[in-house]
Amino acid sequence: MEFHLKLGIVLSLLVGIIDSTHSSSYSSELGSHRYITEAYFHKHNTIIDQVFQDFITNNLPHDSCEMLQTKHNFIPKLSLLGRNLIGEGSHRRLTSSIKIKIHQEISSNLPSLSCKAIVIERLPSGVFADPFELQHLTQRGVFTDASAFGDTDLESPTIRANRSIIEIHMDLNPKNNNWELKIQLPLHARYAPLGEYGYTRIEFGSPDLFLQCTIEGDPHNKSCLISTNDNDVSLTSSNVASILWEVPSGIMEHTKIVSMITFISAFVSAFSIFIACVYYPNTESYINFKQS
Amino acid sequence: MLEGSMKALNFRSLIIFSAFLRVFLIVYGEWQDTHMEVRYTDVDYLVFSDAAALIVSGKSPYKRSTYRYSPLIAFLLTPNSFIHQSWGKFLFSASDLLVGCFIRKILKLRGVPENLCIYSVIVWLFNPFTFTIGTRGNCEPIVCAIILWVIICLMKGNLFQGAIWYGVVVHMRIYPIIYALPIVIILDPSHFKPNKKPIITNWNSKHPKTHLTLGPTKSFNPFSRSRILFSLTSASVFFLFTGIFFYLYEWEFLHEALLYHLTRTDPRHNFSIYFYHIYLNYERQFSVLEKLVSFLPQLMVQLLLVFRFAHDFSFCFFVQTVAFVAFNKVITAQYFVWFFCLLPLILPWTKMKLKWEGVFCVSFWIGAQLHWLFWGYMLEFKGKQVFLQLWAASLLFFAANTYVMITIILRHTYSPVFNLSQKTK
Repeated sequence: MEFHLKLGIVLSLLVGIIDSTHSSSYSSELGSHRYITEAYFHKHNTIIDQVFQDFITNNLPHDSCEMLQTKHNFIPKLSLLGRNLIGEGSHRRLTSSIKIKIHQEISSNLPSLSCKAIVIERLPSGVFADPFELQHLTQRGVFTDASAFGDTDLESPTIRANRSIIEIHMDLNPKNNNWELKIQLPLHARYAPLGEYGYTRIEFGSPDLFLQCTIEGDPHNKSCLISTNDNDVSLTSSNVASILWEVPSGIMEHTKIVSMITFISAFVSAFSIFIACVYYPNTESYINFKQS
Repeated sequence: MLEGSMKALNFRSLIIFSAFLRVFLIVYGEWQDTHMEVRYTDVDYLVFSDAAALIVSGKSPYKRSTYRYSPLIAFLLTPNSFIHQSWGKFLFSASDLLVGCFIRKILKLRGVPENLCIYSVIVWLFNPFTFTIGTRGNCEPIVCAIILWVIICLMKGNLFQGAIWYGVVVHMRIYPIIYALPIVIILDPSHFKPNKKPIITNWNSKHPKTHLTLGPTKSFNPFSRSRILFSLTSASVFFLFTGIFFYLYEWEFLHEALLYHLTRTDPRHNFSIYFYHIYLNYERQFSVLEKLVSFLPQLMVQLLLVFRFAHDFSFCFFVQTVAFVAFNKVITAQYFVWFFCLLPLILPWTKMKLKWEGVFCVSFWIGAQLHWLFWGYMLEFKGKQVFLQLWAASLLFFAANTYVMITIILRHTYSPVFNLSQKTK
């Protein structure tokens, strides 16, 4: 499937009042969850792409963006410039270049906003992100916030593991109105199911991108969402090719020979140790040893 | 007198130098962690620290995924949260130095000359595997220190204390359960009489010309006072800790700290010869027969070594541990420390010359490991399909382990720790 077709980017604008209690929470529909994905898992146990899309479409607040949209004609332009998989082997980095632009003339009329970009990666089966590594990156200031949801077991092979979702939050500098972000997400391959050719292909879908902004000093405690489905949000995605990861997998044909030689080796070694113990010299050598 | 104090000074200088080296590595590790992408600190240390922080906040350490140890370790590391995050590294490195002191103590008790003691201690203190493992925050030095302390207790005839620590260490790491059988064998009533210390065979003494004692003697009494005291005390301590932590953390503790280690079959690549076999068969369940067959070589070798060398129990523990690791279904580099701490205890009795047999053994073992690491690198970091080559490298490493173990056995001078001639008196 073409990447841009799969790219169901939703641009949401979530506006709230900065105060001590509501500074970073979403609307009541999402409860007090810090992450959108957290709210999804509050309702669902597994990751089904369509269910997730429906959740984003139906459960994020849609109806209260009028002030920014009608009064200030606030229409940010969000572009996914490129995606890439860097590195070799089982540990790679998925990079996403994102461009967010607010037109200068429009933005000058805007009230003071503080915004952050939110990237949601629904990882395909067979790869995972280490939640503790994400935590480490957050502590180092690489991300504002990042968390993994779903099956985050680091050790399960693909056949025993479910999918997971990564949500990354990045603060945007309020002095600009033209942001370019390059997000690098460290990923790890699980042990792939057995195959015939020695490699398993993993194909990445598109990320979901959000922009969350907060009006400073707004007396109304309102929040809103604008998505790409709404006519008044501009979205582009170009130069985005499909991303593939080939993970080495065990070859089924090896099973018999490997099992046989493994057990023969174990028994041969055990037998050699037995022989060594049987032919082990007795204590006479002790005296010789002392005398030498 | 002067000579004695010079030697003590030598040992003290060795420990002080080792301590400085470890402090330097811990400080360097802090720097690397903050400035470089690749951490110096072991991933497990972060797990311990998180588990300890959970305990401080009144929660279960098992809320931290991949924490698969006794809660004791997390308890020991609680100061990580309120003193300094490196507390645990200092604790582990201090245990590492303590192992050095215990090695000297054991060798001294066996009458080994000071210069040989020093050489043996150096093999532990300056082994790159060991000083990096403690400073990176791995808990194994604590386990090693406890095992050596158990050996000291046994040699001094302090069975009650030895049994308590043995119960603790089996609770902490399970694998020392393999020493239970040789311990039961050496707790012979003829060595352990009430209010009397067992007589230790001196390294330098002319040993009576006796045949190799094979395991338990003919008059073996499993219900002797010393055996019952040791077994009941260590079992009680083990079950006491297990009971307390089961009460506190319920099934999560049993699953993560005990059952996981007993049933672990990891399909991901590791040094074990079994890894590819496990991966290839992971999609189906292993039958009971298959599990038994895969455990049989391990069981046979353990029993054989115990019955052959139990009375020379430092050596017995060493070869048992090498065999246990070599035949295990999962092998990681940290397991090597389990036998590295026992290696210095057997060196004064080996006839193996460093030139060139010793050099060859070390080179073969390290070479086979480096060869494995090359294929491991190709698979993990280059993404090449080299499972077969990696498995063959595991077989070669297994062959190296077997060869080195057999050479060590053949070059070892059998020397029962307790003076067997007592029995005839």
